[in-house]
Amino acid sequence: MTEQTADSIIPAGHQAETHGQLTVFSVHPAELETVVLHLYRERQLPLLMITATDERVEGRGFRIWYIFGIPGENRFVAPFLCLDGTVEFPSLAPAMHEAWAYERRIQTFFGLRAVGHPHPLPLILHENWPADCYPLRKDFGWRTRPESAQGEPYPFQKVAGEGIYEIPVGPVHAGIIEPGHFRFSVAGEEVVHLEPRLGYTHKGSEKLFEELPLPDKIRLSEKISGDSSFSHCLAFCQALEALAGTSVFDRARYLRVIYAELERLANHLGDLGAIMVDAGFNFGGAQCSRLREMIMQINEILTKSRFLRGVCAIGGVTKEIASEAAARLTSDLLRIKEDFSGVMEVAGSSASLLNRLITTGEVPMEIAREHGVVGIAAKAHGIASDARRDYPYAAYDRLFFPTAFAQARGDVYDRFMARATEVPDSITIILTALSAMPPGEIKPPSPSFSFRKNAQALGIVEGWRGNIVYFVRTDEKGEISRVAVRDPSFLNWTVLGYAATGDIVPDFPLINKSFNLSYSGNDL
Amino acid sequence: MHTFFDILQILLIPLASPLITGVIKKLKAKFQNRRGASVFQPYRDLWKLFHKDEVISQDASWIFRLAPCIVFAVTLAVGAIIPLIDLATFAAPAGDLLTVIYISAIGTFFLALAGLDTGSAFGGFGSSREMTVSALAEGGLLFSFLVLALVAGSANLFSIADSILTTGNFYLQPIVLAGIGFFIVLLAENGRFPFDNPATHLELTMIHEAMLLEYSGRRLALMEWAAANKLFVFMTLGANLFFPWGLMHTFSPGALAAAVVIFLLKIAALCLAIAFIESTIAKFRFFRLPDILFVSFTLNIVAIGLIK
Repeated sequence: MTEQTADSIIPAGHQAETHGQLTVFSVHPAELETVVLHLYRERQLPLLMITATDERVEGRGFRIWYIFGIPGENRFVAPFLCLDGTVEFPSLAPAMHEAWAYERRIQTFFGLRAVGHPHPLPLILHENWPADCYPLRKDFGWRTRPESAQGEPYPFQKVAGEGIYEIPVGPVHAGIIEPGHFRFSVAGEEVVHLEPRLGYTHKGSEKLFEELPLPDKIRLSEKISGDSSFSHCLAFCQALEALAGTSVFDRARYLRVIYAELERLANHLGDLGAIMVDAGFNFGGAQCSRLREMIMQINEILTKSRFLRGVCAIGGVTKEIASEAAARLTSDLLRIKEDFSGVMEVAGSSASLLNRLITTGEVPMEIAREHGVVGIAAKAHGIASDARRDYPYAAYDRLFFPTAFAQARGDVYDRFMARATEVPDSITIILTALSAMPPGEIKPPSPSFSFRKNAQALGIVEGWRGNIVYFVRTDEKGEISRVAVRDPSFLNWTVLGYAATGDIVPDFPLINKSFNLSYSGNDL
Repeated sequence: MHTFFDILQILLIPLASPLITGVIKKLKAKFQNRRGASVFQPYRDLWKLFHKDEVISQDASWIFRLAPCIVFAVTLAVGAIIPLIDLATFAAPAGDLLTVIYISAIGTFFLALAGLDTGSAFGGFGSSREMTVSALAEGGLLFSFLVLALVAGSANLFSIADSILTTGNFYLQPIVLAGIGFFIVLLAENGRFPFDNPATHLELTMIHEAMLLEYSGRRLALMEWAAANKLFVFMTLGANLFFPWGLMHTFSPGALAAAVVIFLLKIAALCLAIAFIESTIAKFRFFRLPDILFVSFTLNIVAIGLIK
């Protein structure tokens, strides 16, 4: 049944190649739009990532991969383009808005031209980066330090009219947050237009993935977005396990669920508190940051790392939860659950807090869909996007899974409540996993792995912001030749401007906090 | 003895004001189940800032450099001419209610100019918001004092306190209403909840802090100190004009002790009220702020109507 559905997606006359969950097939540039739009519009498959690989050394030119998920079947399908002797590919952005930012990124980093892209400006790299220098091409050495260029200043969208003025905010902010520039066009206090500009934390992480030895690659994945260390590492390890054909011990699968949910808990509690602090509701803010700290301390006791670093490994996890620790975790979580429901009761009955949250920062449903928002931002619209259910990994297929939060306004309140609903759900999942966890080993003994040659694999994990996608490709020696990372922030950043439009400037920090997107995960 | 009280009249506000902000912060922490910093922390912060280097924007004019001194001096001047403990002080003849309101306005004016002076986006925001709030608050402030002036038949603050002490019970309703109206203005003028969040780091939401963003070192210390003075001045006005019980008429050790204790109790109650508000409600949206200030204005009008 499953085979049949996946196969029916592949157009006639195409040779498909399947490794594990990922089926790929080559398409001709002329038929690209038909094939991809068939998957996107008619089959309604979620687009997970568009990325490129440079395989010119192997004589295969550049490849562009259009990766879709098939929810419910736990499979992925990826048509790909081979660009041999050309650097041009047809842009899908006019027909499929989600492709917009991916194509700009491919243009910037691979020097491939998206023909027909409506707004083909560089993304992430700024005007001080030389125009003809493409860092993800294989002939660009990772230690190269190009001369600083004097490019044209970035053309921000101009809003003209009486009384409209621009406020530049950032990249240096008054608080200790990541750097990003926000260009507001305002009429008095009302935001008429907002354009975020990112890239200030670009570190060349994807290039580093190609260079570092394997253990460092895994460590690097933990640093892509520090608050999602475990989820990022898990997504990367899952892709590597698919390439190596490694199976994961049962107990490790359950432990992965527990650690992943602990990470979600810590971040959701932190965000709920931060949203309340930004609204000036200090009681809720103080309580939630206290609860977050409790989770962080649990993390440290269990794994010696507050951010669960060094916990995930290929084939399993490195940290065991012994039975005494499990009993203590259970009682701690039950107490946190009770405290949390008390705090939310107080918060939910504060008229002044609700007044700040409800209708603030609404994203129109159509905008959210067209930009392919994921995770919390999608759940706030009632869009059921959750990799734990759609592509069950670790032990999620065997655990109780609560129904998604459904609201429709997509405002700060809905994003707040989406998190607040997930907190008790996560605790339930951890408690179930703790009791259902079978005894056994948690990590394969030998650390040597060999990856399939000329192959590719996908790892997807529902991080606390939304799904994290890793696409890994190997060369003909079985070495990892490309790691493409898609943090949920990359998609959700695109709707932030819409969320702020029509609101007032003093509410922007609250709106921004309700998304709480990663700059590092976006800029890579 | 009188010299002592005269010196106290001038120095009490600047010396005690950091303690008041420290107490409010401590109470807020307690309300939120936190431990909080020592009540003397604001003194240490001022000390630290006075010893730090200063960075001044190249675009700053003399207004930016001089404004902290003016703003601070204004709070000193106002602090010296309001009833604190002793009604028979040398400052009494100067304590006119219009003098107090409009000397304070000089401080607000220079604060807003200083915010605009460096040309940064946030300073402009802060100044524009501050002027919006303070223009709307002025009506409430003036009319709440007017209630007292009508009750007392005088515009002198010391006569007002004196008169309410002796005849206040006949006018309890209008005085309480005007007191509530004044408290709302106190919150607005001093950038407290629900108008402004004195603890925020979010430059886009700030009012008072946005105007100070460009300041550092000594000048920032003066600005912070002036803000603490202003808060204490407003609290004292609220405590001693609307509820003047305890003020000392003629010196006697018993009267002095009673005056000091009752004054401290009143100020403590106000600190408690501010800390309670800041721990239990969220800050209001900017465009809802005029509504609250109109409430203050309306309360005062009703209070005037109640005076017979």
